[in-house]
Amino acid sequence: MSTASATTADLKPMPQGRSLMSDALARLKKDRLAILCTAIIVIYALIALAAQFGLIATPWDVVVGKAYQPPSFDSLPLCLGTDIFGRSVFYKVIHGTRIAMSVGLVASLISIPIGVFLGAIAGYFGGWIDELVVWFYTTLSSIPNIMLLVAITFALGKGLTAIYFALGSTAWIGLARVIRGEFIKHKNRDYVIAADSLGATHASRIFKHILPNVSHFVIINLSLQFVSAIKSEVILSFLGLGVQGQPSWGVMIDDAKLELSRGVWWQLAGATIGMFFVVLAFNILGDSLRDALDPKIK
Amino acid sequence: MKTLNLRKLVSSLTLVALATGSVLIGSACTTKRADSGNTLNLVSTAKIKGIDPAHADDLYSGLEVGRVFEGLLQYSYLKRPYVLEPLLAESMPEMGADGKTYTIHLKKGVLFQDDKAFKATQGKGREMTAEDVVFTFKRLADPKLSSAGWWLIDGKIVGINEWHDAATKAGKADYAAAVEGLKVIDPHTVQIKLNQHSFQFLYTLAMPQAGIVPHEAVELYGDEFLNHPVGTGPFKLEDFNPASKISYVRNPTYRKEVFPSEGEAGDKEAGLLADAGKPLPFADRVVVQIITETQPQWLNFLQGKLDVSPIPKDNFAQAIVGQELSPELKAKNMKLHKMAQIEVTHTTFNMADPIVGKNRLLRQAISTAFDQTAYNETFYNGRAIEAQGPIPPGLAGYDPSFKNPYRQFNLAKAKELMSKAGYPEGKGLPVLEYLTLADSTSRQGTEFFERALAPLGIKLKVSTFSWPEFNAALKNKKGQMWSFAWGADYPDAENFLQLFYSKNMSPGPNDSNYSNPEFDRMYEKSLTMKDSPERTALYQSMVKVLVEDCPWIFDAHRLAFTLTQPWIKNYKPHDLDHGRSKYLRIDGSLKK
Repeated sequence: MSTASATTADLKPMPQGRSLMSDALARLKKDRLAILCTAIIVIYALIALAAQFGLIATPWDVVVGKAYQPPSFDSLPLCLGTDIFGRSVFYKVIHGTRIAMSVGLVASLISIPIGVFLGAIAGYFGGWIDELVVWFYTTLSSIPNIMLLVAITFALGKGLTAIYFALGSTAWIGLARVIRGEFIKHKNRDYVIAADSLGATHASRIFKHILPNVSHFVIINLSLQFVSAIKSEVILSFLGLGVQGQPSWGVMIDDAKLELSRGVWWQLAGATIGMFFVVLAFNILGDSLRDALDPKIK
Repeated sequence: MKTLNLRKLVSSLTLVALATGSVLIGSACTTKRADSGNTLNLVSTAKIKGIDPAHADDLYSGLEVGRVFEGLLQYSYLKRPYVLEPLLAESMPEMGADGKTYTIHLKKGVLFQDDKAFKATQGKGREMTAEDVVFTFKRLADPKLSSAGWWLIDGKIVGINEWHDAATKAGKADYAAAVEGLKVIDPHTVQIKLNQHSFQFLYTLAMPQAGIVPHEAVELYGDEFLNHPVGTGPFKLEDFNPASKISYVRNPTYRKEVFPSEGEAGDKEAGLLADAGKPLPFADRVVVQIITETQPQWLNFLQGKLDVSPIPKDNFAQAIVGQELSPELKAKNMKLHKMAQIEVTHTTFNMADPIVGKNRLLRQAISTAFDQTAYNETFYNGRAIEAQGPIPPGLAGYDPSFKNPYRQFNLAKAKELMSKAGYPEGKGLPVLEYLTLADSTSRQGTEFFERALAPLGIKLKVSTFSWPEFNAALKNKKGQMWSFAWGADYPDAENFLQLFYSKNMSPGPNDSNYSNPEFDRMYEKSLTMKDSPERTALYQSMVKVLVEDCPWIFDAHRLAFTLTQPWIKNYKPHDLDHGRSKYLRIDGSLKK
């Protein structure tokens, strides 16, 4: 929002107003840590894409050495050792990145529209629609999250699609709450009333007028949901409900549970390091985004 | 008896154990629960569906059933090869002149455990009589229970099938109706008449399914009898939590049974006869923890919270150096017991399935593509013999020189068989459903199998279950392939060959639902023959039929490596392990 400087009736030209986004971007640019985190996320995304299109670490499921060969510098595939079948742990970490990033992305793409839509109509219309939506997400959130995920994956069968859907369909509640609150706040603001008197439809008021003004919450939420989706995928795979026939970090940690006692630490190390940086980067970026985007923290 | 394929290296015998009693019992139960230290801490590596002889068709339920219930006969604890001896019977059954009638004298003064079911005696357990034996066998034939023991007596006892059919027709079993072959002579004598002479019938009397049950408890608890077992055994159920823990206390009214005074050569030197003549059981309590993952089992064992443990594959290098115990474990005075198990692990094809069941070449291709040597190395640390057929070493019918043509790993040949089967490079073959268990080691085994089939172009859809769910799925003929193991119920190859007899199809033990009239004919013929070179030859020709038809991928015969804590006395590995916890003694002085 532009500042109140215009009220001082001065002859000086009005300072150039900056939109919320460009303002936030300017502030983010000054935040070195945020830049670093963004870079890390971009690198992860590039690795995931390259693995997806078979440009690196392909094929991951071939035998590159003996079973449980410790890390060595003989060749790139061996730099993190081998697993029970003699496959490269390094390649598995890379493909684990692909799985994790795709789960984060797809789950967020499913959950965010749901959260935004339900939050928006509940907050905007109020009344029975609000009650219905609130009842729905309260009921859903009263079921322990991991139980719900387990139940959904059981119902849908195992595999990536089930995980996408399970995470996507459960992760929208937080966002819906926030968006609903913001819509309640905004719907009686002057600019909305003005739009109304100019004949704007409900849809136009919701999506064209109010939504852009609360969209920063969506961005903040996106970064947080990405992390929770990645973590949930790992947990589900660790529990044996997740990805199948693909090198997920969770499956690697599940393997490590057995292998650690024979001194095989490299699968655990690989998966943990892979997970550590991306989760940390998203968390820090999420914080920075909130600092930069939330007008109240200015 | 069904066992898990991958989970353990020591399937049959392995009780593992956990928890020095008091810690886990918790403060709420302070009354009389102060742990005297005389608690046997064991572990079940699979979930238990319940403790009822009629449903004890898997190893793990059988072990629990064997603590509470007793059959008429049992296997000698120390003698090898395995011999039967009387348990609830006074003496070994006497065979009549016709060769088909067994007269069995029962021990006098055998009491059922005290339970509120015995209303006439105000909860005091009454004496077990011949009526109970008859009731027990009728119960196995009750169609409503779809009991896991029916296949043992189906068509064997005179009149039992008529009784079974009448009950099926009426929708309810009439226990008052007589069965010609089950006769009460007097309260302590029962006569069992068979349709034809059977060399295996006596083994049946020693199986967990044939544990004697009192009708009062069955009537009172109904379906809940699974959770309220009442038997004559040395231990009484104290608490049953199917997901985590089962605990038993010594049965105070247990009759006088003593530790055997005879064994095989070497037992005396091994100290196994030191307790000869002492009353059983030794332990005051038995606590069985249910731990399905291998690492927690192993760590608990190392901490002394488990009394007996197998060695998980990932801990093998830590436990065994060369062929002996590692110095680290030796220093802890742990004892290593090795035994070649009478068992076979296998990957089953569901022959009732329209795809894998109807295409012999496809099965042969899959069998040929499965590299058992690599599998044994990866999952059994080489502690297994590659199986060529269903009959394990140690039984008549096993031929060490025989090589199964479809079990010699050969990818080129497998691909050729795939082409002949009509699926060159897997083209046209739908995704096959593979059933497995939910633990990590099973997942790794599944991954191995998926990798083995990938070169043939075969893709798998994997469904995971807990052990009871897994068994239920098989009983309903679900799935196309799964990994399984069968441990001997009794030391006769017939116990392995009956797995392919068409009348034993699911829910019977023939879980591959294999049916071949030629095989059936040979099998039926073998039942009438006594152990002889002719019968062995017949067994071998039956194996050849199976090898060609390939209803299973014959995987391995495993060697059991079991560790016991220094304070556990009298442990001797055995293939038929149910009802043996009464022999184990805890030397409190060695336990801190």
